[in-house]
Amino acid sequence: MSTPGAQPPSYTGPGSPRDVPPSQGSYGVDPATLPKPIQDELRAHDPAAIDTSADELKDGLNRCPKCGATDIRQKPGTDQLICLYCRHEWHGQGVEKEFGLGEGLDKLTGTVIASGARDIAADAASLMSFKCTGCGAEVTINTENAMTARCHWCRHVFGVNEQVNNGAVPDAVLPFHIKKDDAVARIRQFVGKRQMFALKAFKEQFTPENVIGVYLPYMIVDGNSSVDVAGQGEIETRRYTRGTDKEKKTYYDADVYQVQRHVDFTVDDLPLESSTQRGNLDTRTNTNNIINAILPFDTKNAVKWNASYLAGFSSEKRDSDVEQLRPRLEDQLLSIARAQVEASMSRYDRGVRWEQERLEVHGTRWVAMYLPVWLYSYHQPGSNGGLLHYIAVNGRTGETMGSVPVQQWKLLLAALTVGSFVEGLAIWFLGASL
Amino acid sequence: MSEDSGLWLLLAGPASATGLYWALYRYYRNTDKSHAFERDTSVEAKPVTGSDQKVDEVLGTQRTRIPDDNVREYRKRVKRV
Repeated sequence: MSTPGAQPPSYTGPGSPRDVPPSQGSYGVDPATLPKPIQDELRAHDPAAIDTSADELKDGLNRCPKCGATDIRQKPGTDQLICLYCRHEWHGQGVEKEFGLGEGLDKLTGTVIASGARDIAADAASLMSFKCTGCGAEVTINTENAMTARCHWCRHVFGVNEQVNNGAVPDAVLPFHIKKDDAVARIRQFVGKRQMFALKAFKEQFTPENVIGVYLPYMIVDGNSSVDVAGQGEIETRRYTRGTDKEKKTYYDADVYQVQRHVDFTVDDLPLESSTQRGNLDTRTNTNNIINAILPFDTKNAVKWNASYLAGFSSEKRDSDVEQLRPRLEDQLLSIARAQVEASMSRYDRGVRWEQERLEVHGTRWVAMYLPVWLYSYHQPGSNGGLLHYIAVNGRTGETMGSVPVQQWKLLLAALTVGSFVEGLAIWFLGASL
Repeated sequence: MSEDSGLWLLLAGPASATGLYWALYRYYRNTDKSHAFERDTSVEAKPVTGSDQKVDEVLGTQRTRIPDDNVREYRKRVKRV
């Protein structure tokens, strides 16, 4: 199951996701020590996010296949589908209950792959043609970015509902809950508190109304695994100072322990990007970490695949198979285990150095899912094609994260000004104490 | 005041400039943000088991932590066995 020595995914970089992200509201500096205008920006309110377990997301999910017309859309802000012809509304089927996901995780063995998460056939084409049953015309859908199309002759709407082996059709979809106006307001609020040092061109061209609703492909993974870690920990036994006033130094005595920990655990609904491009989180070349940071979603409320949910939205196609994502999953399982054992290491007040770790994956279950994201993008010109900055809003919880391009000279000037002021104080203090 | 601490004070200017630059850069660009799956994923763990055995003693060190402390750096991979 586990592959010892498997290469960790290569998405490293300065301040990259290889570092555990800071907790919310921490800035690295104490805002109180900064000049007032900067302080105001830092302390402005963040867009509020709904807790993924919130009741308002838990709509009833039963399907009523009553309507015969083809013009079907998701009713904005709900998980319901609405027929634009007869205004009939109904719910999608919840996948959680339907497939029995989230149950019996501790008994999970082997690799269970839902039908929509199966390997992508090498010869599968992105373009799919349909013969319109209404008028006989040929209608083509490019599944790279869309899952529905309208016959331009008779206006019938087609959706890719049957599972095709090109990776475009997932098992489930989580419909948009946050409406466009709401997403625009959140992006405005997010950028509003990042104005002072933002790139001038970005501010001038800022039009959050251009935000696009995109369904991005993810694998939702349940896992049952065991992890062993071994290393050394130190406990302080004595602390003392030596030397006279000027040469005073603190010394420590400590006991060194060889420590081992074992933990058996199950994870429920861990989301992994199943598009190679979106899964590359190298912050030097892209801002995909922004989209990664608005996870998680309330995947428990996902509904069975129905292309009608995607009408009016854009989509991206999955291009990674289960085996390609396994190293990433193993990496995350190890990280989760290390976080789990931390509480048992509290007596080691001088820290622990883990030296070895072993992962045994007993079982995994993979479900392919489209998750809703509002994306606003800005292309900053520069060397190597520049950088595409994203501001992303979680289409369910409204959690907002973004990358605002900075005006370097302004930022440098502010840093140098504050630095010179502090240096001036230091010199004054030294001069006074001589 | 000793000469040592005086020289040290002169570093305060460059240090605060660098610190402020990086803090504001990260506040705008959010390069340090990612999915905190260690905290956000629903995990059910059985009680952690293990062993602790005293193997050595360190006397009179000036280090305040064990070398290469990684107890909170969950994502830094160590040797897979």
